[in-house]
Amino acid sequence: MIIKLMKQPQFVIGMLFIACLLIFSFYWPSLLDVNKKESLKLLDFLYDKDGKVIGAAPFPPSEIPPFGTDLAGKQLFYQVIDGAKYTIIIAIVIAFFRILFSVGITLLNPKSNFSYLNDIVQATLYIPTAILAYLFMNALLVKSELDSMSFSKLIVLQALILIGIGVPPLISTFSREIKTILNRDYIINTFALGSKKSYVYFKHVLPELSTKLFLLFAQQVIQSLILLAHLGVLTIFIGGSRTLMLGDFLDPMPYNIPLAGEWAGIIGMSFSKLQAAPWVILTPLSFFAITIFALNLMVQGIQNCLETNKT
Amino acid sequence: MNFSFHSYLKRLRSTVIGILIISVLPALFFGINTKLEQKVWQYSINGIMYDVFPDVFDRYMYSMTIFFSALLTGLLAALVLTFITTLLPKFLQRVIYGVLTLLESLPDLFIVVVLQVSVIYIYKATGILVANVSNVYNNPIYLLPILTLAVLPTIQLFKITLLLMKEEQHKPYVTVARAMGLGRLYITLKHVFRNILTSLFQYYKTIFVFMLSNLFIVEYVFNLNGVMFLLLNTQGAAFLVTALIIALPFSVLFEIAENNTASVDERKEEDAA
Repeated sequence: MIIKLMKQPQFVIGMLFIACLLIFSFYWPSLLDVNKKESLKLLDFLYDKDGKVIGAAPFPPSEIPPFGTDLAGKQLFYQVIDGAKYTIIIAIVIAFFRILFSVGITLLNPKSNFSYLNDIVQATLYIPTAILAYLFMNALLVKSELDSMSFSKLIVLQALILIGIGVPPLISTFSREIKTILNRDYIINTFALGSKKSYVYFKHVLPELSTKLFLLFAQQVIQSLILLAHLGVLTIFIGGSRTLMLGDFLDPMPYNIPLAGEWAGIIGMSFSKLQAAPWVILTPLSFFAITIFALNLMVQGIQNCLETNKT
Repeated sequence: MNFSFHSYLKRLRSTVIGILIISVLPALFFGINTKLEQKVWQYSINGIMYDVFPDVFDRYMYSMTIFFSALLTGLLAALVLTFITTLLPKFLQRVIYGVLTLLESLPDLFIVVVLQVSVIYIYKATGILVANVSNVYNNPIYLLPILTLAVLPTIQLFKITLLLMKEEQHKPYVTVARAMGLGRLYITLKHVFRNILTSLFQYYKTIFVFMLSNLFIVEYVFNLNGVMFLLLNTQGAAFLVTALIIALPFSVLFEIAENNTASVDERKEEDAA
């Protein structure tokens, strides 16, 4: 299957892009030959040669190329590059566990209809996923403020919420798929010859599902990326946030800074200042769009592969 | 028009149970932490309390006006664009299809933000305000939200109709019509389009669900006083009622649509037999 996928140009291009982005994101300080601390520091004011202030944050892209700085004066380019690894890895982890859990739960009892889950799936048609996630995340954040939670525990709980939201619809697709496979003649024969259930699942059902699993995985990564962006806009940050006091002594401005530097955090942090500094929002958003496009290319490649398999 | 009341009740039951489970779950996992001064039938925006009833009906009407105008706009635009595309040469069609795939992968948030920023930019540069970009003093805006909401469904519907059109044009009846000497324009308008519309109907669920999710982002970014905003700010019982108000009319629509597409499929099977 993998060899076949490698022959699809779209898949290879998408894959290469994501891989390059990840590698660049991990090793940018050495690749660009800059100091990581130095390039991510706050840059409140811009001085000329004589030490006079000639500008204050946020700086537009024309003043500090290539993408300008955010409201606190951090360079956006480095922030976005540094955040790429967190964003993509979070999305991949969420998608992976969604698939893993839903296949696992379906295989526990492939004959059942999961009627309660179907109820939830019916209801989620009318409630946007972002609102659903917000409900849970908000309750969690209030709780974490009341009795203090460690950073890692908060991240695990948040990831569990994001995983759990995607599982019910996936289970209903998988249970349909697996039922049709289990009704095939050769599977019935294998059972009649006395093979164990686990043997059939691992030897016959999962290999038959494998390409489909890969397709669903890529689609789930896209969906979790979109969900992350939406949650960022709703100022729900993965890993919680720290409140920083900006502004002067008489007029303090509370300013939420997300702890993990992923793209959704950059968006959410300054979304209310969209009119004042549109580039702060547009830069991470366009990176979201490019990443999703690369993933879509991969999806297209897998779909082409599935079609050639059929004919 | 088929509508069976029994199966509708079944669907209704599962929807209500599902929404009930969803509205209870957060409190179950993380404890009830509504602020004490907040009453059940109230919600707060920027610290000011409002009553859920009868606010929710106005908000609902406003949201649905935007939703259905956007849907109609999107459908019309998609059909017109498809019609124009079929008259173009083959290589241009392939280019358009590629561009559509690119546009389809843009996140809804990106489109909403870009449109809003560009309207403001045009205003700053030329002094012409194309449309209001935000709700001010309970003065509802319509034009920009409708257009924004219509963009993504247009792209999706355009792509689907283009694919369906490609499939349809190789069917025997089109060849016969061509052989009879009828014009390409006439065949497309009179015969192909009708058949496509019935097939297009099968994608209603994807489009509706997708648009509801987009509606939320549009409402949030444009700061509209819509029903999705209420859904975001309420908890517990109020959330349940708001969700039901959104869900009930749509479930009727889905039921009718499902019954009718099923009958279309049956008819096709009968024809095949």
